Amino acid sequence: MGPLTSAFAFSEWLNLLTAFMIGIGFGFALEQAGFSSSRKLVGMFYGYDTTVLKVFFTAAIFALVGSQILNYIGLLNLNQVYVNEFYVYASIIGGVIMGGGFIMGGYCPGTGLCAMSIGKVDAAVFIAGGLAGAFLFAETFPMIQGIADSGYRGAVRINEIFGISPGLFSFLLITAAIVMFWLAEKAEVRFARPEITNEL
Amino acid sequence: MRKKVSLFLFLCGLLLAILPLTGHRSFKIRPDNLVNQVLDPQVNYSVDEVAKLIVNGDSAIRLIDLRPRNEFIKAGIPGSINVPYEQFISEDPDIYLNDSKIKVILYGNDDFNSNYALVYCRGLGHDNAFVMDGGLNEWTRTIMESRFTGSRISARENALFEIRARASRIFNEINALPDSLRAVRLTASRFSARKLDGGCE
Repeated sequence: MGPLTSAFAFSEWLNLLTAFMIGIGFGFALEQAGFSSSRKLVGMFYGYDTTVLKVFFTAAIFALVGSQILNYIGLLNLNQVYVNEFYVYASIIGGVIMGGGFIMGGYCPGTGLCAMSIGKVDAAVFIAGGLAGAFLFAETFPMIQGIADSGYRGAVRINEIFGISPGLFSFLLITAAIVMFWLAEKAEVRFARPEITNEL
Repeated sequence: MRKKVSLFLFLCGLLLAILPLTGHRSFKIRPDNLVNQVLDPQVNYSVDEVAKLIVNGDSAIRLIDLRPRNEFIKAGIPGSINVPYEQFISEDPDIYLNDSKIKVILYGNDDFNSNYALVYCRGLGHDNAFVMDGGLNEWTRTIMESRFTGSRISARENALFEIRARASRIFNEINALPDSLRAVRLTASRFSARKLDGGCE
């Protein structure tokens, strides 16, 4: 049956409207969960606040379990769900830049937009920097195309690489997540800092 | 609460590990390379080439008929196996393409489904997938309805029309048999054709 966009043959405007509504919901949830605070976000790197890990990993796991079960009972065709294509070297370089930008700026792109929408100046500068980076990337793309296109592996999934079933991979990931949650809570106790968010 | 959520997630994971979920296969080739590959004329077999392979009883090819089952039962190219297109693209093509030494030639009524199936196979890295140009419609036009109309025939044309005639005869013989006897007849004809190979060809 699903994805709904292909099952009901959504027109382009309806597709975009759906994305817009989901985006509003996502942004609202991010803001309500406190992800417009850069202190909360970079707390992940220093170990005193691991909410980012717990929230995003939990969301990913619930989506994983839900989509696999819907796929099994025939309500969602996972083969029609878009998967990003994997470029090995571009992913490594992009990941390093993204991580560096995250820890220095205090936001990732989504949370940066979320914080900008409630009027945070640092987030607005962060987003402006991101846009400038995107512009530079586009202008210099012919020079870096060789690196960007190398190491192509297709829209590959992790369970494919390891040659295991999606169900077994899900089980292993969930187990790893539970262990990481436990370690994250230990880290929060060890690297605890006084809560100052409410005073700002 | 945390322990309960963790336990719930763990049980969900256990359930997923037990369920027989089918794995997804991803295309390994860049889209532009894939397009170049499937547009290369070398992936096409003409119906005359296929006819020659059938007449010679070539065991290094496998013909896959992508038409619906009811159409295949009425008539199919000798030696082909029927895997309807929807079934073919929904299951792992390794079943049919796992032996890289065997050339798998796909055909339908025309080029439409066979070309899609070719993209699917090549995208998954199976270089031994090919299509029969024009499908069964072209086979009927070129092989079954082929008639020489000229006054003089060259040696090359004579060989071509001989192969077409033999392929046409095999096609009619096989399709006139009951389903249960087709497979037996095919094995026997391949065996006898192989014994006759060689000589002045």
